[in-house]
Amino acid sequence: MRLALIGLAILFLAAFLALPLVAVFSQALAKGVGAFLKGLADPDALSAIRLTLTIAAIAVPLNLVFGVAASWAIAKFNFRGKSLLLALIDLPFSVSPVISGLVYVLLFGLHGSFGPWLRDHGVQIIFAVPGVVMATVFVTFPFVARELIPLMQEQGVEDEEAAIVLGASGWQTFRLVTLPNIRWGLLYGVLLCNARAMGEFGAVSVVSGHIRGKTNTMPLHVEILYNEYNFVAAFAVASLLALLALVTLAAKAALEWRFADQIAAAKR
Amino acid sequence: MTAAASTTATKPARRGWAFLAPTILPGFGTAFGFTLAYLCLIVLIPLGHMALRAADVGWDRFWAITLAPRVLHAFYVSFGCALAAALINAVFGLVVAWVLVRYRFPGRRIIDAMVDLPFALPTSVAGIALTAIYAPNGWIGALAKAAGFKIAFTPLGIVIALVFVGMPFIVRTVEPVLQDLDAEVEEAAASLGATRWQTFTKVLLPTILPALITGVALAFARGVGEYGSVIFIAGNIPAVSEIVPLLIVARLEQYDYAGATVIATAMMGVSFLMLLGINFLQRWTRSRHAR
Amino acid sequence: MAIEIRNVEKTFGAFTALGGVSLDVRSGELLALLGPSGSGKTTLLRIIAGLDHADAGEVSFDGQDTRDRAARDRKVGFVFQHYALFRHMTVFDNVAFGLRVKKKAERPAEMDIRRRVDQLLTMVQLSHLASRYPSQLSGGQRQRVALARALAIEPKVLLLDEPFGALDAKVRKDLRKWLRHLHDDMHITSIFVTHDQEEALELADRVVVMNHGQIIQVGTPAEVYDHPADSFVFDFLGGVNRLNGVIEAGVARLDGKAVRVDGAVGADGPAVIYVRPHQVELGVAPADGVPDGKWSARVSSLHAAGPVARLELDLAGRALEAQLSRDRLSDLALEVGSWCTVDFRHARVFPAKS
Ligand SMILES: Nc1ncnc2c1ncn2[C@@H]1O[C@H](COP(=O)(O)OP(=O)(O)OP(=O)(O)O)[C@@H](O)[C@H]1O
Ligand SMILES: [Mg+2]
Repeated sequence: MRLALIGLAILFLAAFLALPLVAVFSQALAKGVGAFLKGLADPDALSAIRLTLTIAAIAVPLNLVFGVAASWAIAKFNFRGKSLLLALIDLPFSVSPVISGLVYVLLFGLHGSFGPWLRDHGVQIIFAVPGVVMATVFVTFPFVARELIPLMQEQGVEDEEAAIVLGASGWQTFRLVTLPNIRWGLLYGVLLCNARAMGEFGAVSVVSGHIRGKTNTMPLHVEILYNEYNFVAAFAVASLLALLALVTLAAKAALEWRFADQIAAAKR
Repeated sequence: MTAAASTTATKPARRGWAFLAPTILPGFGTAFGFTLAYLCLIVLIPLGHMALRAADVGWDRFWAITLAPRVLHAFYVSFGCALAAALINAVFGLVVAWVLVRYRFPGRRIIDAMVDLPFALPTSVAGIALTAIYAPNGWIGALAKAAGFKIAFTPLGIVIALVFVGMPFIVRTVEPVLQDLDAEVEEAAASLGATRWQTFTKVLLPTILPALITGVALAFARGVGEYGSVIFIAGNIPAVSEIVPLLIVARLEQYDYAGATVIATAMMGVSFLMLLGINFLQRWTRSRHAR
Repeated sequence: MAIEIRNVEKTFGAFTALGGVSLDVRSGELLALLGPSGSGKTTLLRIIAGLDHADAGEVSFDGQDTRDRAARDRKVGFVFQHYALFRHMTVFDNVAFGLRVKKKAERPAEMDIRRRVDQLLTMVQLSHLASRYPSQLSGGQRQRVALARALAIEPKVLLLDEPFGALDAKVRKDLRKWLRHLHDDMHITSIFVTHDQEEALELADRVVVMNHGQIIQVGTPAEVYDHPADSFVFDFLGGVNRLNGVIEAGVARLDGKAVRVDGAVGADGPAVIYVRPHQVELGVAPADGVPDGKWSARVSSLHAAGPVARLELDLAGRALEAQLSRDRLSDLALEVGSWCTVDFRHARVFPAKS
């Protein structure tokens, strides 16, 4: 029974998890290392990498600040409508990525409600970098808050009260007591948020317009190359993203292993 | 000796609080205000705006667009495949969670970490990788072809992509419940003469059912809206393997904003109703087994 | 610093946690808040510290209303029930925290902070553990770190919530003595919460007994022990015999015989007579029956280790505990199974709760 179950689980995971990973790397190297490197060194690929990093560098800090503010308000205070607020924060998780992009197209696109006004003022959001950033922020919105809220709820308010009775100001309390208490959970949330920000496809695909060298992120570039039957290059870029995923998983496992108690709260 | 009896305090005791429970911690106003403003700007206003735009289209056209055969079929494919994938995951995800929680074997840690791969791997990467494997010239696709059927470019391919995407939801929601479950309960059941199967259906399943339903709901919701990992393997043949998100994108590419808006709003509405239903189902199982 | 508490009320939703509490805390005394779980002790302590706001009533420090003084400006040392040590800081940094967060103008130089912290750590006998983290300490050590941290800001008032609650019996006893000495040295007005009557009676200058959000009695340990205000205090302090009797025409009776009681007797009806074991007077049973006004009982068990002998008696089917000196015991020549007469030197009676 035991062996049969373990075997079944491993077989299932091998077919669904290991095989795709192997496929990515083997296809990327199918024509040798030279072709692989050529696919990566392409100027369009390089600009996609740059754009992806830029977007993550904007979206992650924004959602980090939001996550900390939201969890401070939700975990440390009691107010009416808290569970509604919690549900609303989770909302982006249950919205299709395509819709996450569409809502901004309807607002800021050429035919959107603010489109004409924006055009008259020479501002472009859709089919430009701001739109890509907005869609990414929408999609990665709940990640940090989701990790922090249960953790901070579990930690309670005693430490903060102790600090205040000892004469600390609100800011000192937050910086010297709260922040160190949540740092690993925070890092964990940032890690997940970053992985999604760099890998988001559906939402970004709707708002970006796929302009090569301009609004093309790495996941979009993978699609374009693939649709052009440039498989080696497509899988070369994909292998970079897969590597990012593996690094994320490793870092996550390391954090979980090292700070199990501090992160466990978030999993309940 | 002073016994403090104060009967003079006749003013009615203040019950509860209006909005915020009294506290000495600072920063609620700032944190709450920022949270609410950010939430409105990023999520609520854009979503609400979309619903308004859908309402602008008018009732008749709304239904005309939604009930067009191609759209209906896309709904059928999206929700059907998501449900099938979620149910497949319910079985295999449970097995994986069970194995990870109950057994110790070499490589368990690595497997445990790998379960989250679908969360971390960009969907377009997953999409092309799965296609490479399941296309007729791929590793598994070729085997299937020899056996006389196709996986990629059929609804079966969509189900496979959604199984990949949804698997961690089940494992990660069931895992903590299994961890809390006392092995002694099973042993007790066994000592009372229950067979393995009876122990499973009568003792284990009722306990993990609420978590399992949560996991299935999450996987299902994610599967319905999934785009990146599906479009490559689906082949996107209208009325065969076309999913709703793709239809929305197609309408947008044809500058049919009204069509895209209506389909998107309808999809959100249906998902919302389904989640509501699942929520009820969950409460019901909870109350039945909470005793 | 003296603290006056006037008609303080606090409700949580529909639940009254404090129903009009008034109390004067004298400058420099060590006061115990004693009461069963849920009686509102922590709530009162938190209101004094400014961690919670009272719904009504006022708290003043040395005659000054504290309403407008935020918790961080009250100069109150608070030791939390679970210590609330900052787990990412060393023992030293924990103790230094209150000094380091002071405004620039008031903050001592780092050198002075070091000196002060070292001094405090020496006082709580933890200087050798200064660089450890809270997770590397035992419960009693954590407790002392929490105390040192609270004392670092030179508080005018020290508030301790169940300071020994999480410790085992031996450590409790040691820390108790140590806290008493510390208080005698420093003379900070201190209030500690406990639900252990022995702790309250042994440690405090005065004891405040609480129940259901009310103060039932305030007094020195001797007053509270010898003259409990009501049956609740008697029951809660424990170590007392409860005998079911009646009150008839203003006289307490046990098996028909009148009991001499201290204080008021109360209305007629079923009653409970409270007698402490050392107030039970035993005598040699005369050969010809029982003298008037006394009861007769049979010894059912006998513990004669130490200077005091404890006897379990059977008084017409009721268990009665008595204490007497070993000398007296040998005078009476009692052993298990023998009969004796029983009388009560001091007893109290309260109408039985229906
Ligand atoms: N934040 C709160 N919300 C609701 N009820 C509360 C809250 N804090 C305390 N209470 C209630 O008020 C009552 C008094 O609580 P308090 O903590 O003062 O009791 P206590 O005497 O300290 O008890 P213990 O010895 O168990 O610590 C309890 O019944 C408790 O349930
Ligand atoms: Mg308490």
